[in-house]
Amino acid sequence: MELSDKLEILADAAKYDASCASSGAPKRGSEGKDGLGATNGMGICHSYTPDGRCVSLLKILLTNFCIYDCQYCINRRSSNVPRARFSVEEVVKLTHDFYVRNYIDGLFLSSGIIRSADYTMEQLVAVARQLREVHQFRGYIHLKTIPDADPLLIEEAGRWADRLSVNIELPTHDSVTRLAPEKNVHTIKLAMGSIRRKLDEKAEEPKAPSFAPAGQSTQMIVGADASDDHTILNTAETLYGSYKLKRVYYSAFSPIPQSPRSVPAAPPPLLREHRLYQADFLLRGYGFTASELMPASGNLALDVDPKLAWALANREHFPMDLNRADASMIARIPGIGLRNAKRLVELRRLRRIRWEDLSRLRCSLKKLAPFVVTADYKPAQGATDSSILRRHLADAPQQMNLWPELQAA
Amino acid sequence: MNPADAVLQGQALQVATFAEWREAARELLQAGIPPEAVTWGSPGDGGDLFSGAPAPAAAPHNAPVRLQQPKPAPHQPPHVPPHVPRSLLDMLQAAACYREPDRWAFLYRVIWRWQQGEHDVQSPADPDGARLQAMVKAVRREEHDMHAYIRFRERPPEAGPPRFVAWFEPRHDVLPQVAEHFVSRMGKLSWMIATPEASVLWDGATLHNCGPLMSSAADLDDSGEALWLTYYRSIFNPARVNASLLQSHIPSRFWKNLPEGALVPSMVSQAGLGARRIGQVQTVGRRSGATIPIAPEAAQPEREQPSKLDECRRCELWQSATQAVGGEGPKKARIMVVGEQPGDQEDLAGAPFVGPAGKLLDRVFEEAGLDRKSVYLTNAVKHFKWEPRGKRRLHKTPAQREIEACHYWLEKELAATKPKVIVAMGATALKSVLQQGNVTLKDKLGRPVRHGDSWVVTIYHPSYVLRVPDEAAKQEAFKVMVAGLRLAQELLERPEITEPDTAR
Ligand code: SF4
Repeated sequence: MELSDKLEILADAAKYDASCASSGAPKRGSEGKDGLGATNGMGICHSYTPDGRCVSLLKILLTNFCIYDCQYCINRRSSNVPRARFSVEEVVKLTHDFYVRNYIDGLFLSSGIIRSADYTMEQLVAVARQLREVHQFRGYIHLKTIPDADPLLIEEAGRWADRLSVNIELPTHDSVTRLAPEKNVHTIKLAMGSIRRKLDEKAEEPKAPSFAPAGQSTQMIVGADASDDHTILNTAETLYGSYKLKRVYYSAFSPIPQSPRSVPAAPPPLLREHRLYQADFLLRGYGFTASELMPASGNLALDVDPKLAWALANREHFPMDLNRADASMIARIPGIGLRNAKRLVELRRLRRIRWEDLSRLRCSLKKLAPFVVTADYKPAQGATDSSILRRHLADAPQQMNLWPELQAA
Repeated sequence: MNPADAVLQGQALQVATFAEWREAARELLQAGIPPEAVTWGSPGDGGDLFSGAPAPAAAPHNAPVRLQQPKPAPHQPPHVPPHVPRSLLDMLQAAACYREPDRWAFLYRVIWRWQQGEHDVQSPADPDGARLQAMVKAVRREEHDMHAYIRFRERPPEAGPPRFVAWFEPRHDVLPQVAEHFVSRMGKLSWMIATPEASVLWDGATLHNCGPLMSSAADLDDSGEALWLTYYRSIFNPARVNASLLQSHIPSRFWKNLPEGALVPSMVSQAGLGARRIGQVQTVGRRSGATIPIAPEAAQPEREQPSKLDECRRCELWQSATQAVGGEGPKKARIMVVGEQPGDQEDLAGAPFVGPAGKLLDRVFEEAGLDRKSVYLTNAVKHFKWEPRGKRRLHKTPAQREIEACHYWLEKELAATKPKVIVAMGATALKSVLQQGNVTLKDKLGRPVRHGDSWVVTIYHPSYVLRVPDEAAKQEAFKVMVAGLRLAQELLERPEITEPDTAR
């Protein structure tokens, strides 16, 4: 099979993985050195595809042969898809050739399980090792870890890779048992735990050999089982706390050819995935807890974003005086982001904040108007009832921007 | 003639680079000349850095001057006007790359106002500040886009260097700093980036500034590009097509020079033609497929049998923990030490007392002359109970019902080990050992009690010692723990006299 045929099949098979970030690696460069590659910590999107997702890494599977039968996965053993397998050298060459033409920032390599977890993991590690050792490649490498693999292999993977990830797959134990019968949440957690321990060790001992400097991440499939957003966000919060993950990725389940009957035939609204990313961002960046965003079971609202939903449900905090409030509370005002919250606090040291400042900072005025007080502005006191306000502020129904936050981590 | 004199004689100040502007601005400021009095000009016209001859070296940005040819001004002041913070200087330097005829005059007005004490000239809430920030943002954006959307094409080795060539049409004067980015990225490979205004060549060791060389995209045939197009087509998920989002990410002016740009319209229309429901790309779907003939049992990975403890669902704590942590020590140990529950580290390691509390406990053992390996060490509750605090896990005391649920496991350990002395560390352990929900630490501290066939000695939990803020109290608590372990050893020697249980 030609290289381009394999690439066609194995890129197609890899696109269900939502992760595409290439950020968080330590600064490296190749000036005056053999080999090539640089990382600057930020990561760069080199292109976007018509689904609006960015291309920053060569995202492929080493092979889509797989002995497991995860029901949501197009590569499951009972699925009738064309199969292909790259050799280690082919992946290395593709990565190198794409990198040097500036198509990508590095490689994100995953694989179907072939023969055994250890055998598969060895192959993944071999690609990374060859890139780093033989080709002196200093670009970004993200390896998808096979949870059942020998911890020593995971340790070696962390030596070569910038980021490791272990997919939690689904939000609950029961769903994993039902839809991914060969996988096991216990071993998935153990693998995440062992990665976190290595990361902690490295943090305490700066001289130790490098280990996954861009940390670890995971992915949860949304809409393949009946779990609601409340469950999903709580699982995410638990994972963030337990394993110090850099990111939890949410991947809206895509219907696949010849779908098994155990999974839905239609995708969840992509807007739901978008709301989960927004809520996740509030967990990571704004100090919200899952129980604040989702106090009861159910799904996030689709008509308003989670921060606005929270503000509407917690009117007692508002209107908030921008000339008095805490920086962290200002960031909780709908329409004011983290950066503008910081700017407002800086500005406040020089003089009092006025309405005009908010428009200069390009805050979302319509959104914030009912929630703030400035030196020269006050909303009509408690006049508007939350449900009227909500109708007024709700997003116009439209195709949503799906991936704005993906770059930010 | 120095700039101040020139201005006084009504001449326009010619500057081509940020360094030149900086120097002129410094002298004007020192001479106290206000912005209205200065006319700024650039060599050539329109403030274009690259037009006119001789071409100045592309202005180096934040990086040591490395472009060969024209040297920059020989002496550079350590910093321009006194008291200008680095952040403002960086902004001015970036804004200087913004192609706008009045850029030098504008920058001078900003720095003048700053010198007058108008420090919010840097803030986006000030009209000049807003413009400055917008210029900086546009320049940074252009740098970023150039990092992202340059496409190198490979030239045959026999054609000699450069091996890779790219064409780009930047809106602002960002080529020099962008060149630095690719120097770092490409190692010793040689390459060239051409733009309408100038070109840079990296020969593998040095950057050369070449002036404009080409007038369009390099017309090179690069077979590597076909693979990229294949990848681009296949990584797209037609089920999620969202063309307007695509356009919002990459402005249309870039598409014409991106090889994948030509594919987009047909991909979008194909996705619209029914592929929308399925993620698979049509060309893959049309190929013949293959299932993997393997029996489900054979596919099961080899795993150690999960322990019964790990499968415990007697309460909800297993849900958010990594694993259950059982006891550790000789099967027939004569002393059993019982803690509260595993902590963050124990939960990850799967062994009791390996974290900070464990380290402290080691010191207590040492002080008391007791070998940790000779005792059976366990916890009243086997799964870590916690609540999130940011990205950390904050220990949470187990509830009575959880203590009761988990007593099942402690009971098994007690039955198997039959220790003569049980050391309960902290209230949770005590409640579990005595199976009394209302017993408090204070009741039993320092007073051994009989329970069944064993003695129960109560001491503090090591985490308590770690938590106590006051140093004296810490010492005291530590001593109580040591004394308790000593007492436990003495009790081992006591003859078996039946004493009434003093527990209430
Ligand atoms: S804490 Fe104890 S009772 Fe609760 S699930 Fe864990 S082992 Fe079972």
